[in-house]
Amino acid sequence: MTSATLHSDATRQQADAWRRQTSLRRFYTALGIGLLLVAMCATMWFADEANAGHFFDRLPHLLDFLSWLIPKDWNDVWRALFDIASPNDKGTQEFNFPLGRVYVWGGFYIPEYFELMLTTVNVALVSTFIGFVFAVPFSFIAARNLTPSPVLRLVVKRFMELLRAFPEIVIAGLFAAIVSIGPVAAIIAIGLHSIGALGKLFYEINENIDMRPEEGLRAVGANWFERVRFAGLPQVLPNFMSYTLLRIEINVRISTIMGAVGGGGIGEELKLSISRGFGAKTLALVLLLFITIFLVDQFSAWLRRKLVGEQAFLMSA
Amino acid sequence: MSASAATLEIRGVSRRFGKNTAVSDINISIPRGQMVGVIGRSGAGKSTLLRMVNRLIDPSQGSIFFDGAEVSSLQGSPLRRWQRDCAMIFQQFNLVPRLDVLTNVLLGRLNHRSTFSNLLGMFTRTECAEAVAALERLDIARTALQPAGTLSGGQQQRVAIARAMMQQPKVLLADEPIASLDPLNAKVVMDSLRDINQREGITVITNLHTLDTARAYCNRIIGMAAGKVVFDGAPEDLDRDAVRTVYGADASGAEISEAITSTSVTIKPKILASAGPLEPAFPGY
Repeated sequence: MTSATLHSDATRQQADAWRRQTSLRRFYTALGIGLLLVAMCATMWFADEANAGHFFDRLPHLLDFLSWLIPKDWNDVWRALFDIASPNDKGTQEFNFPLGRVYVWGGFYIPEYFELMLTTVNVALVSTFIGFVFAVPFSFIAARNLTPSPVLRLVVKRFMELLRAFPEIVIAGLFAAIVSIGPVAAIIAIGLHSIGALGKLFYEINENIDMRPEEGLRAVGANWFERVRFAGLPQVLPNFMSYTLLRIEINVRISTIMGAVGGGGIGEELKLSISRGFGAKTLALVLLLFITIFLVDQFSAWLRRKLVGEQAFLMSA
Repeated sequence: MSASAATLEIRGVSRRFGKNTAVSDINISIPRGQMVGVIGRSGAGKSTLLRMVNRLIDPSQGSIFFDGAEVSSLQGSPLRRWQRDCAMIFQQFNLVPRLDVLTNVLLGRLNHRSTFSNLLGMFTRTECAEAVAALERLDIARTALQPAGTLSGGQQQRVAIARAMMQQPKVLLADEPIASLDPLNAKVVMDSLRDINQREGITVITNLHTLDTARAYCNRIIGMAAGKVVFDGAPEDLDRDAVRTVYGADASGAEISEAITSTSVTIKPKILASAGPLEPAFPGY
């Protein structure tokens, strides 16, 4: 005798109903996956048809770029990175490394690419700062539990949505027409987008705070600014910082891309050297970018752990 | 009106939440310097009543007067000034856990100062000294530099009292101040409230869950049931019938034993002996 036969009819009926329901759910899942596959294949085919180059025809040429990217002399990568004269220099722009030197004083110079990288990182830092400064007050107005007025809340929320809605490149294009091409247009574009992006994350943090301190200060007779400053900010600041550091990481990447569309910095140089097929220069730039982004990410991860880790400890105490 | 100086008058106050009436048509007059205990079952409207006095909640009907002036219609900065004069402490203390104790106490001064200097957190030396003195009076000055969230419940409630005192209030409201505390801390907190009441002459109105605390500390007890005042008198008048009107009897008709909820540290041993013959619920009566 198995134990199943011992159960009552009602129990068995319920078990059967559950199994029917489960198999139905599995069927729908399988159907969904099947439809997704069909849709994907169809899209691929459509894209291939519509693409002038034809994806499958061009696939064998995938690795063609290696022919120009791999330098004849690997040492040229280092020379390009540090602006050291190359013996391969024949007067063309491909190997004119020392020309980029940015002299600070006497014989001391900053290599061109490091200077450009600095510009790019600077654009990211300044625009994140702009984003933070505006996102903090906006986030308190936009939070349901802290807002001073529901109407103002909606206005600010819609405004931040608007800022988020346009990709940075679109805003940069707009401002490049006004303030001309260069880092300023990039800063404005990334800064505006950061206000919207950080503001949304911030106000969602604000909506989750413990309201008892706020009630306590309300009972003291504190006004809105004082309640936000003393009951809100201490609770949310560690999380704000954490998201801001994350935003710095993102903005370094974005400001690189901005360079490629005329926002100055290292992206511009990278695009130029790729389009001209300068292998050593391209590799040097990619290497520098890779190291910088790695360092920024590591540093911000470490700082975030320190910030949030300490606060998590405080909260549990 | 007939109100003498610094009398708190609650006239025909009701409060509805949707279809529920939390407080209905309450009329109370509390002269300056009384220590009032509000008792009643959970949901009787005690908290709502206190919150309406401090204006954390607005009354649906009726009005509240203090010192002859209506406070239930105030808005903006006069409202905040009234909230400053009418300090409140809470069951969950409502401190800012991440700020240190001294800052929490100093926050009681917010309404005495300009917003600008508040936002920069610039408190004067005198104010800091006052804050430390307030902490000393409650015997927790040594915790001044710790984050408030790291303190025990009893200590946090004392910080909340210190913050309330920094407001230099005329009325002190306490919403279940000892409901989350152990008996010893409950005694410390209630002793401080009585001390504030007797030394400074500040009116204290406190919601309480424990009858014996109300009897021991208050010189007037208000009993609430289903949003209405069903008892209002001296502790001596709170007899068995009055208690039954406030709390009702349980299904078996048994009455409430004060010993069950008592937070007294010197509880009489004979009340604990439940195996013996039935004893009157209130041995004193």
